[in-house]
Amino acid sequence: MKFRLVSRLYQLVLLLLMAGSALAQVPARPQPQRLVNDLSGIFSSRQVQVLERALADFADSTSNQIVVVTVPELYGYDKAELSYEIGQQWGVGQKEFDNGLVILIKPKTATSNGEVFIATGYGLEGAVTDAFAKKVIEREMIPHFRQDDYYGGTVAALKVLLPVISGEISTDKYAASTDDGVLPSLLFLAFIGFVVFVLIISSGGNNQNMGGGNHRGGKDFTAADAFILGSILGNSHGRRGGSYGGGSFGGGSFGGGFGGFGGFGGGSFGGGGAGGSW
Amino acid sequence: MKKGLVVLLVVAAVAIGLFGWFKSNYNNMVKMDEGVQAAWSQVENVYQRRADLIPNLVATVKGYAAHEQQTLEGVVSARSKATQITLDAENLIPEKLAEYQKAQGELGAALGKLLAITENYPELKANENFLSLQSQLEGTENRIAVERKKFNEAARSYNTEIRQFPKNIVANLFGFEKKPYFEAAEGAEQAPVVAF
Repeated sequence: MKFRLVSRLYQLVLLLLMAGSALAQVPARPQPQRLVNDLSGIFSSRQVQVLERALADFADSTSNQIVVVTVPELYGYDKAELSYEIGQQWGVGQKEFDNGLVILIKPKTATSNGEVFIATGYGLEGAVTDAFAKKVIEREMIPHFRQDDYYGGTVAALKVLLPVISGEISTDKYAASTDDGVLPSLLFLAFIGFVVFVLIISSGGNNQNMGGGNHRGGKDFTAADAFILGSILGNSHGRRGGSYGGGSFGGGSFGGGFGGFGGFGGGSFGGGGAGGSW
Repeated sequence: MKKGLVVLLVVAAVAIGLFGWFKSNYNNMVKMDEGVQAAWSQVENVYQRRADLIPNLVATVKGYAAHEQQTLEGVVSARSKATQITLDAENLIPEKLAEYQKAQGELGAALGKLLAITENYPELKANENFLSLQSQLEGTENRIAVERKKFNEAARSYNTEIRQFPKNIVANLFGFEKKPYFEAAEGAEQAPVVAF
């Protein structure tokens, strides 16, 4: 409790410092920490759960932290700046690798354009180049976003980004591929089967990792959700099994085979990435 | 005799305390100075990154807009001017930094002009290579903004450290000097607007 108070105070001081130096306020780091932060309410709670789970799993197995933030407005920032500030201030990615990624979405409204930005941590600038990020936005996200399908666009982007970030396919391969996405292989189908299997098992009432109001646990998952989850992760997992539970991730919370998100690692951002609007 | 011993002990204690104080302050200043230098090398990196993109960009634009000779040459000469000015991290003085910033600012302005004229060439704007360069350039401008800000932050906390009493005594004694800042954007310094 005392520790909590101290950390609260620390946050307050930090906040005040930030307010003094910046013209505007970046959304505060979520408490409890999570990877999907739907501040503008464009996802359903089930969609948030699926995305959170996919990203938490990806963070567990590869240590790369991808954060999806949707905002109702840009708080006086430029979209690139806001994404960078979120990444930097929240500390997305591991401190020693700077392997964080921030996907910022501001939905289109009657009076303003929709804006999207993918910001890369220092360590991911090589994997996700600016040109590649731009392409993902133009090809995967904006076509869906134009039709108000924010979830579809986010899922489509993650399907391409995850395998690239985990180093399984190169960006050249993506550039050369058609619009149908990448590598729909047998392995991929097998993986979906595996995910469905795990979800069925984990939905058997194992909820001790639901603490703190997190979107975790599996009881609300349907087969359709599992399918989407599998399709997001499908391409990015060559080496499953054995890679779980290693090291420093949120010890003890691996309830049903999928861990919750263990917390931001303090990664640093240098302004890399690309954006688009519609 | 006893009194002399007490005095000696007090003097020794004060000396040890003073030494500790100097040592910790000095070491802290060294650390922060290193931080500023590291931030500076990042600034140079991102400016270099921009300079590295330019030959490719100019070549691509030339293929479609060869008769925009003047603008293209403007970029090339601004680039060579900007890359000639290098600034050692140990030698950060306000005049040098202003000069560096001015040269880079002129390059930024020349690039802005070049990107503005590309608007008139739809075929160029559809070129894969050009689009890729454009997004890289845009990302590099963002990086420049970020690294400049980080440099200013590092310099600011270093300057605050060395100028506060009584730490300024240590700073003066060992010759720690105030670091200059990047000035806020003026007309020429503004990042070129890359429109899509």
